[in-house]
Amino acid sequence: MSLDTDLWWAVARSEEVTSKKPLSVDIGDQPVVLWRDHHGIARALEDRCPHRRAPLSLGCIRDNGLIQCGYHGWSYDGETGRLKEIPNMKDQQKFPPLYKANAFGVSEQAGFVRVCLNPKAEAPLSAEPKYSYIGTVNVSCSHQEYLDALYDDPALILAIRGVRFSPYIMSELHEEGGMLVMERSCQWHPLHWPSHFVAEFPLTLLTRTHPLTGETHLTLRDDAFNDLLHAVLSPVPAARGVTAVRWRAELGVRRPGLRGAMLRGVNPLTVLSSIDGSKLRTTKPTVSLHGEDLRNALLDAPQDTHDQTVAA
Amino acid sequence: MLDIADRPTSHDDNSAPPAGGSPIAMNVVNRWVPHNIVMRDSWFPVAHDYSVTGKPVRRAVYSNPIFLWRDNGVVVASEFHPNERVVRDKSDYTDARGRYPVMEHYGVVWIWLGNPLAADPRHLPSLPFLPPKGGLPRHMTATVRFESSAPISLENLIDLTHADFLHADVVGDERSDSETIETYYDSETVTMVRTCVNKSVAPVMKFFSGIKQPTQNVRQVIRIYLRSHCAIAYGRFSPGDDVPLFHPCTPETRDRTRMEMVMNTSNAGRMFSYVMPKAGYKVSRQDSYMTSPQSPRYMRHTDRKDLHSKFDQAGQRYRMAMMELADRQAKGDFAYRDNVSADCSDIIGLRKELFQF
Repeated sequence: MSLDTDLWWAVARSEEVTSKKPLSVDIGDQPVVLWRDHHGIARALEDRCPHRRAPLSLGCIRDNGLIQCGYHGWSYDGETGRLKEIPNMKDQQKFPPLYKANAFGVSEQAGFVRVCLNPKAEAPLSAEPKYSYIGTVNVSCSHQEYLDALYDDPALILAIRGVRFSPYIMSELHEEGGMLVMERSCQWHPLHWPSHFVAEFPLTLLTRTHPLTGETHLTLRDDAFNDLLHAVLSPVPAARGVTAVRWRAELGVRRPGLRGAMLRGVNPLTVLSSIDGSKLRTTKPTVSLHGEDLRNALLDAPQDTHDQTVAA
Repeated sequence: MLDIADRPTSHDDNSAPPAGGSPIAMNVVNRWVPHNIVMRDSWFPVAHDYSVTGKPVRRAVYSNPIFLWRDNGVVVASEFHPNERVVRDKSDYTDARGRYPVMEHYGVVWIWLGNPLAADPRHLPSLPFLPPKGGLPRHMTATVRFESSAPISLENLIDLTHADFLHADVVGDERSDSETIETYYDSETVTMVRTCVNKSVAPVMKFFSGIKQPTQNVRQVIRIYLRSHCAIAYGRFSPGDDVPLFHPCTPETRDRTRMEMVMNTSNAGRMFSYVMPKAGYKVSRQDSYMTSPQSPRYMRHTDRKDLHSKFDQAGQRYRMAMMELADRQAKGDFAYRDNVSADCSDIIGLRKELFQF
């Protein structure tokens, strides 16, 4: 899969990246290893030792913050990717610049570790808080198919306890500040009238999606315009057509009553680890068709219109 | 001024569907991409009057947010919720306070989407079978939704031959001694009149109106107000009842439609007057069964042309009229060339004596 090298992908949640054990992730067909160095800074290198191509993620993190290949023990600096040590060559401390693994840009904000394949790319800014409910799923579905499912029927990929997504849309997919924005009408579950006969919907789900990365901010609102739930869903194209999805969520305004109680207490958001093929096959592509047109229009527009700062 | 679109067709006419040449330019008809048609400078029906109270309710027309509530009994239509922390720009469709022009008529709340200064009650569609000040019982009203574009829903409506198959269990099948279809149009409306002699009696009338005869004569009229995406569906059944229906197809988005229907059955028998409006719930799902998968297939232009029969002339005229109006609007011409509020009783053949207000 060919990817824009200047994009920042939320490939991990902050909690997943530690100084105890390297983490293997992908951006498309590019394997990436993540860890924290001895200063607690997240680092990202290609997950491939330049020596004998062994995955660095099978190695370990040393006390000095270097990542060490588990095969022959070569150690690399996370910031530059430069080779720092070969166990059998203790007397040689300097290696030619060519002796390095590819290093990637890393940025950590709002509880996500984002990686950019271009190490010189400018990291996005974010004023988002760090939501406390978290999760990771890997879905056997391409990145675009995953986003199309989100547009056409969110129930294919996620569930919010006590909430049912309707097929009716308050605001169809449109461009707003470089993002793809839509708002879907929702009902309280399980007691509700059939949505096609309902005059008023008590809830809406507002989604704001970055046109390239697909990182999506979700807001569940009631009819008094109270934000009941915030979530960030970050789908990243991974190896073999899989989409790795990291997410974070936080409850918003405390809604009183029985229905509000369904949202309270424990995490109300579930991001599904698989998509029901029979439902997906019969879900009509409607919003996603507009999405494709919009995305193409945005990509044809000057680059600053889809500045990733907005997404982050 | 109304023009007669096409010569009447009948079962006796065995001619093949027009091949390449008809009164309507087929090339234009086949360029039909209803999702791209967005009308403005029009009144859109958005709510039954009783739905709007002190608490804001939300509506949308072409995704434009509309919040409705009453302030001292007067309807307010705003593009912002009163509790909203406003971070988005005001649209061009509202005044300095973000308010849409709004009016109540026929028991329905209408908002004007377009240039607010052009809003004029004279552009409100004529619905002579509804009391101007509203007040029909609630059981004659309903809200139903379609997962399709509004023009698709209206094109479905104006070709009533679909009803003989999709809604046969409600309105009867296709059997009749003769059937004629006439189409009339002007720049703002398309009207189709279908006359059937000795048609299979509608089951809903057999069971709830006590019609004993096996057949009935039927005159059905569909009149579409193009800009508002509103239709009148008026059936006169003999023996049987007069059943006029206000059938708006408000485009909440380009691919979702909302219908605040009103069926005036006040002249029908008691049981029928209650049951028939409820048939809308059943009929709408039957329609959705077809229009929902149909709609995405019209989202983009395709070189593959639709096939047409002689019964499609009203639908073809509808397509053309909508495209002509959309074309005019695209060029900045939003003027009304025909008066949509003029009483259409004669055009739809309304038996006025039954609907005095």
